[in-house]
Amino acid sequence: MSSKPKIGVYICHCGINIAKTVDVEELTRYAVKLPNVRVARDYSYMCSDPGQLMIREDIRKNGLNRVVVASCSPRMHELTFRKALVEAGLNPYYLEIANIREHCSWVHKDKQEATAKAKKLLQAAVAKVRFLEPLQEKEVDVEASALIIGGGIAGIQASLDIANAGFKVYLVEKTPSIGGRMSQLDKTFPTLDCSACILTPKMVDAASHPNITLLTYSQVESITGYVGNFQVKVRKKARYVDFSKCTGCGLCAEECRLADRVKSEFNMGIGNRSAIYLPFPQAVPAKYTVDPHSCLFLTRGKCGKSPKCVEACPAGAVDFEQKDEIVEFKTGTVIVATGFDVFDAARKPEYGYSDYDNVLTGLEMERLISSSGPTGGKLVLGKGDGEYVPKEIAFIKCVGSRDKSTGNEYCSRVCCMYTAKLAHLVKDKLPEANVRIYYMDVRAFGKGFEEFYDRVRREGVRYIRGNPSEIFKRNGKLVIMVEDTLTAKPLEDEVDMVVLAVGLEPRRDAREVIDLLRLSQSSDRFFLEAHPKLAPVDTATEGVYLAGCAQGPKDIPDTVAQAKGAASSALVLLSSGKVKVQAQISWVNEATCRGCGYCVEICPYTAIELVSVNKMGHEVNVARVNEALCKGCGACAAGCLSGSVQQKSFMDSQILPQIAALGGKS
Amino acid sequence: MPDLEKLRALAKETISRDDIKCLIGWRPGTYGYRTSPHFVRSPEDADQLIFSPLCSSNLATYLTLAEKRPVPRGAQPDTRKVAILVKGCDSRAVVQQVAEQGIKREAVYVIGCPCEGIIDLRKLEDKYPHTLERVEARWENGKISLDLPGGRAVFPREEIVAGKCLTCRYPNPVIADVTVGEDVEVRGSAGFEDINWLEVKNAQERWAFWRDKVNSCLRCYSCRNVCPMCYCEECILEKQNPAWIQRSVNISENTAFQLARAFHLAGRCIECGECERVCPVEIPLTHLNRKLVKEVSEQFAFTPGVDPEAKPLLVGYRPNDKEDFIL
Ligand SMILES: Cc1cc2nc3c(=O)[nH]c(=O)nc-3n(C[C@H](O)[C@H](O)[C@H](O)COP(=O)(O)OP(=O)(O)OC[C@H]3O[C@@H](n4cnc5c(N)ncnc54)[C@H](O)[C@@H]3O)c2cc1C
Ligand code: SF4
Ligand code: SF4
Ligand code: SF4
Ligand code: SF4
Ligand code: SF4
Repeated sequence: MSSKPKIGVYICHCGINIAKTVDVEELTRYAVKLPNVRVARDYSYMCSDPGQLMIREDIRKNGLNRVVVASCSPRMHELTFRKALVEAGLNPYYLEIANIREHCSWVHKDKQEATAKAKKLLQAAVAKVRFLEPLQEKEVDVEASALIIGGGIAGIQASLDIANAGFKVYLVEKTPSIGGRMSQLDKTFPTLDCSACILTPKMVDAASHPNITLLTYSQVESITGYVGNFQVKVRKKARYVDFSKCTGCGLCAEECRLADRVKSEFNMGIGNRSAIYLPFPQAVPAKYTVDPHSCLFLTRGKCGKSPKCVEACPAGAVDFEQKDEIVEFKTGTVIVATGFDVFDAARKPEYGYSDYDNVLTGLEMERLISSSGPTGGKLVLGKGDGEYVPKEIAFIKCVGSRDKSTGNEYCSRVCCMYTAKLAHLVKDKLPEANVRIYYMDVRAFGKGFEEFYDRVRREGVRYIRGNPSEIFKRNGKLVIMVEDTLTAKPLEDEVDMVVLAVGLEPRRDAREVIDLLRLSQSSDRFFLEAHPKLAPVDTATEGVYLAGCAQGPKDIPDTVAQAKGAASSALVLLSSGKVKVQAQISWVNEATCRGCGYCVEICPYTAIELVSVNKMGHEVNVARVNEALCKGCGACAAGCLSGSVQQKSFMDSQILPQIAALGGKS
Repeated sequence: MPDLEKLRALAKETISRDDIKCLIGWRPGTYGYRTSPHFVRSPEDADQLIFSPLCSSNLATYLTLAEKRPVPRGAQPDTRKVAILVKGCDSRAVVQQVAEQGIKREAVYVIGCPCEGIIDLRKLEDKYPHTLERVEARWENGKISLDLPGGRAVFPREEIVAGKCLTCRYPNPVIADVTVGEDVEVRGSAGFEDINWLEVKNAQERWAFWRDKVNSCLRCYSCRNVCPMCYCEECILEKQNPAWIQRSVNISENTAFQLARAFHLAGRCIECGECERVCPVEIPLTHLNRKLVKEVSEQFAFTPGVDPEAKPLLVGYRPNDKEDFIL
């Protein structure tokens, strides 16, 4: 310990948040009597300017060398008070916070008891602060580039913003084209802009931007390193088409032996494509890809005498010798924009999605109604001679959202409006059709939403409040069993077509990304942000940000806004060029470390490794902490049997007095 | 019952190898029923080796406790292997030490000795007060016979072996470079009936049981010292800064000590029973260990000391772990 501790104690009223339940004056009188305490004061808002000034002046005038603030959670204001210490010339890590709000006043009613507990918490903090040691914050350089995972609208927007600011971007997209779900939509609520018309220019911009390296049909294999210095490995899957030669003419696809015989993912299986394909006409890059799962040559080793596509291609671009390629690069930051999957309607068997062709999901309806879709925008069902135009059309909302039985308690936030949009588009194409929407609530919260909902109702779309219990077929018609909960009448509604407004779910392959970056998930299984209000685009891993539906359901405006937020967070890092690394990190006592490697396995940030050292002539393993990687989570310290890893500011020698104080008499 | 001649011949051959520096085994003790660890450094030393129902000590402890003396400048450390005789339970200690990188697998040469059960001297001394004359013992057709001063005595195995041997599921070494003798029948069951009587009691009754035991602990630390899994350079029991556990011998500090030791062995204790055997005041530490083994097995489907490649319990995570103990 440096010099004899001279402690200042600052007790915050937090308005009445604390003062209502804790007798702060009594607490202050108690604090002055604690060992090594020089001054103790209370104030209405310690975090305010005058509050901080009080601390700074005491440090200067009374020569304080340790500070205890009894206030809210350190998550709220630890940084604020650390700054105050620095401004007064004290090392910021000479600060200890006693949380008497979340841990005390907010959870208790009895003032006397709460005050007694606050005394304990304060006494413990004072006991600990005496043993704190000064820590230095180090800085590391930031690699001036960003990795964006997922090329939906979120990923595209974030890429463009960062690239426009002058930094290099690697945009990695799993499928052959960027665009994501938005490229599958017909029109977009509430303004009814054509989705492709507003998206395609951005896709083209991203592809042609000198600062953006587009890696489509690619997958991130590994990310190691730490904020500012991520080492990325990407697998570019073989497309069996030479990128530099393919002109996108599409002759190969026309000639393919499987032409129009492979289900098109882009069209949600409603339309077909060839084994060599462009996912959709506006795809970027406009280069063809051979689908290894259907191509005859790739699955059976033989396609007629020789592959038709090879023969058809005037540029000689089809190349079955092509192999996967590994691309490696460094980036300073990562944005995860991997989007969503729609709820699998087969998980609600009562709606007959798997049984009846005329029960569709919202996304299928988007394709069916789109002028670039498989029917050219004609709203018809059935095939060939069986083709018919539906007249009675029903939508069912909240399929797979707000439904505990499916494990999805959340609201998917877009289904209300996309249902209204699709209903409007149906009325637009088939003015004679009768359209009704079964709903639980209508959530029209966004800008222009309520107006749009109103407009759709005025167009003759009927909203019936009720959650259908079953759909079955009778005399060639679909029968919806439902209770109209406004009139409390059971209904049997006969219709030609049902559209299920399926909700948004995390990507089914989200695990891959979780494993890459050690992301956390919230209870809805979407990726977890660092703080729901104050850090909605950050993650627990520094330098890794979230954008778009990967973080939770949202519409396009919110997705774009969040993408811009993530880009700006990334840019803060990139443009400063330096990043401070945690100071309260772990430290290994090599003399007692037994080299078991528990800590290495436990560390969620791969920040510890075993290294061989020479101890008096013997080569032995000991653990060593990578100071740039360690986040100071303390998991290693908890796991080490011999107590050889210690987390700075939470060393055994610092927390034992704290625990002892909590246990002892006050 | 292994043939002693064969064992000694094997030991001679082993210690003559260039890559072996020492062989750890057992030899008769100086009196009575006692046996001692025996460090064989030359072929002649091997003549004293024995393996009998009296060879209770788990020699694996010496693998990790061996002092690493400073190597003089310019000299090379002796990196030759250590050969070691192990019973079934002892072999699990070697496996666990390897699994948690306490020793390197290639640094040991394991000589497996299938074991039909070790005599619990307390049970024997209840029948025959201790004697100064050296006694020999052997396994014979599921029974144990002893050459006592008054003549030969034969006991059914169940009557005289240690409690740990009655529940033992690994009498045959789980790891061995070479084995002496034939594999023996596995008699122990996978259940935990042996601690049932204690588990059915309520918390007060259990504490009443343990309070008395813990209270009598002398804090001699024999249990820790003998344990093959306790090989920290600086044990929490001796740490001064901070002193998690005070040195004073009283119910509070004793309890803290016993709990710390138990927690440090969760998922690591391989049930060799040495701690209980050496405790001078007969604290039934095996009950505590068996409870740990049970919890670890039921909660995490984990058994320590059977697979040297397995990740230690504390560092492994399986998404399908029960976790029903988390509130
Ligand atoms: C039926 C329906 C209708 C809708 N209508 C509207 C509307 O009218 N108006 C509106 O505002 N919003 C609408 N939405 C919402 C809109 O689709 C989303 O807001 C938007 O698509 C979210 O974009 P995103 O980039 O976050 O995700 P996505 O569009 O899902 O893009 C994610 C991208 O990441 C890629 N990816 C995934 N995993 C990986 C990986 N591991 N590696 C590399 N790449 C990966 C995917 O292939 C995809 O290209 C609708 C949604 C649905 C389901
Ligand atoms: S090889 Fe045959 S099946 Fe494959 S893409 Fe070419 S033409 Fe189509
Ligand atoms: S857990 Fe402890 S003893 Fe084991 S390697 Fe890490 S620091 Fe060393
Ligand atoms: S705690 Fe006892 S039974 Fe378990 S390994 Fe250690 S000495 Fe053997
Ligand atoms: S009791 Fe714990 S700290 Fe002590 S030697 Fe055993 S494992 Fe190590
Ligand atoms: S051997 Fe027995 S008396 Fe000695 S410390 Fe262990 S439990 Fe206590």
